[in-house]
Amino acid sequence: MITVHDLTKRFGSKLAVDHLGFEVRPGAVTGFLGPNGSGKSTSMRCMLELDRPETGSTLFDGKPYHTLRRPLHEVGALLDAGYVHPGRSGRNHLRWLAASNGIPKSRVDQVLELVGLTAVGGARVRSYSLGMRQRLGLASVLLGDPHTIILDEPANGLDPEGIRWIRDVLTHLASQGRTVLVSSHQLSEMALMATDLVVIGQGRLIEQSTVADFVDRYAERWVRVQSPTVGALQAPLAALGAQIETVDATTLHVRGVDCPQVGELAAAQQLVLHELSRQTGSLEDAFLKATAASQEYRSGGGAQ
Amino acid sequence: MMNLLRAEWIKLRTVTMNWVLGSIALAFPLVVTLLTAAFTNNDDGNGGLDTEGLISVLTGTTVVSALLCGVIAAASITSEFGFGTIRPSFAATPRRSRVIAAKGIVVVAATTVLAAVVQVVGWYAGGALAESQDAIIDLGDVPTGMATMVGAVVLTALMSLAGYGLGLITRSTPVAVSVLIVWPLIAEGLVGALLSLVFSSDSIARWMPFQAGIRLAVVDLFDDGPSRFTSGVYFGAVSLVLVVFGGWLVNRRDA
Repeated sequence: MITVHDLTKRFGSKLAVDHLGFEVRPGAVTGFLGPNGSGKSTSMRCMLELDRPETGSTLFDGKPYHTLRRPLHEVGALLDAGYVHPGRSGRNHLRWLAASNGIPKSRVDQVLELVGLTAVGGARVRSYSLGMRQRLGLASVLLGDPHTIILDEPANGLDPEGIRWIRDVLTHLASQGRTVLVSSHQLSEMALMATDLVVIGQGRLIEQSTVADFVDRYAERWVRVQSPTVGALQAPLAALGAQIETVDATTLHVRGVDCPQVGELAAAQQLVLHELSRQTGSLEDAFLKATAASQEYRSGGGAQ
Repeated sequence: MMNLLRAEWIKLRTVTMNWVLGSIALAFPLVVTLLTAAFTNNDDGNGGLDTEGLISVLTGTTVVSALLCGVIAAASITSEFGFGTIRPSFAATPRRSRVIAAKGIVVVAATTVLAAVVQVVGWYAGGALAESQDAIIDLGDVPTGMATMVGAVVLTALMSLAGYGLGLITRSTPVAVSVLIVWPLIAEGLVGALLSLVFSSDSIARWMPFQAGIRLAVVDLFDDGPSRFTSGVYFGAVSLVLVVFGGWLVNRRDA
């Protein structure tokens, strides 16, 4: 369990994290979402006491990070896959990390194998691709077999196979009862991986809930109706107060009414329906709606 | 603490640049000393190499090694900030002062051993070569000989400590290395000369920290400056202050 309480971090006049508080429960992958510059990475650094917050604290199973004697056994964190000396081999990078927490050398080879880097463990990190560095970063996270895992954009630079692999790894770790907090910009990936969400904007908590509740609350819902005589439905639907969007000659998207109402209406009119389905917006739609007021950096306009 | 010392030792020995600089720091004084010993002719009546000359060459060239060791020590911490590895370091050991202490101990110990090897090899190999040229090499001939060679080792240790402190303060390899080179070789000379002019006393310049430190490795100290021991303690104190201040800054700042 991670408990973040009243975290505030300021860089000069810029308030990066603003009295942020949330909890991450064990046994689930929790997505940490927010627009660019919303304070996700800063929050993670503050949680690990790498940045000094003005106020607030973070507890890992009730203990502040600095009180952990061998933190790698309790919290595994990957904040940036680039935090590696390029002239050092991947194996040596893991060796010094392992040595600092009294982890045996044999574990280094185990985690290298786990992430598929055994063959290149002796090569210098400068020869690694971004995806290989991400795998090395994940190996460092797994070194101490920790029960809490914090990852900042772990899928960056990974190919589709790598993204699926990291998703499988994280969901497997969560299924073992571990606490997993992952930030990512890949919302479709997050929708597949996370069960809980912490959404922040401009350093403040916007929402903490399950993914399903979040989508339910913020994403748009509508009814898709497909019929060869769809035009005959428009007037009765309008009379019910529905907003109607004509997609094509046979398809309508209807808002403001639910499937049973549309079905009953069609039956009353003796109309044939080819499709009647409830549609819900994606996590991406929900995220954009929830963080619309908190977007610090947005594009100037649509493509010309 | 043993775990941290082991981790820092792995870090130090797995970066090629440290081996390159260390090799130069090892080879430079030895090559110069051995060449001097081998090619100084004692039969031409021009006063060939004697014990004092051998020690002077050995310890004098060790000053350059000491500067290189200071660079290694500075880079050992600045590279961590440069490549961001300081974050996993502090995430793995949240009590930063322990990381700072372990790294300092490892790098100072490594450079001290290097300097000791230079003195031992330089003295015995250089002495053997000089004697093959009919020189008479006897440590008893120079009362300050042993103190000078030990002083050269201490100077290397303290120069590493100073470099490490500068690295902690600046967190930048170019800045730390520039200061480490410019300060002792140029800035102290200028500031010392200026102060000597202002106060009409040459002895003030000898209290410039690095100049005082270098006195550890000088055979003859026939002037009114501080003694070898006092110079060493003074330079050691300055180096320690740099490390303590740097450590305090690192503890206070974001990683």
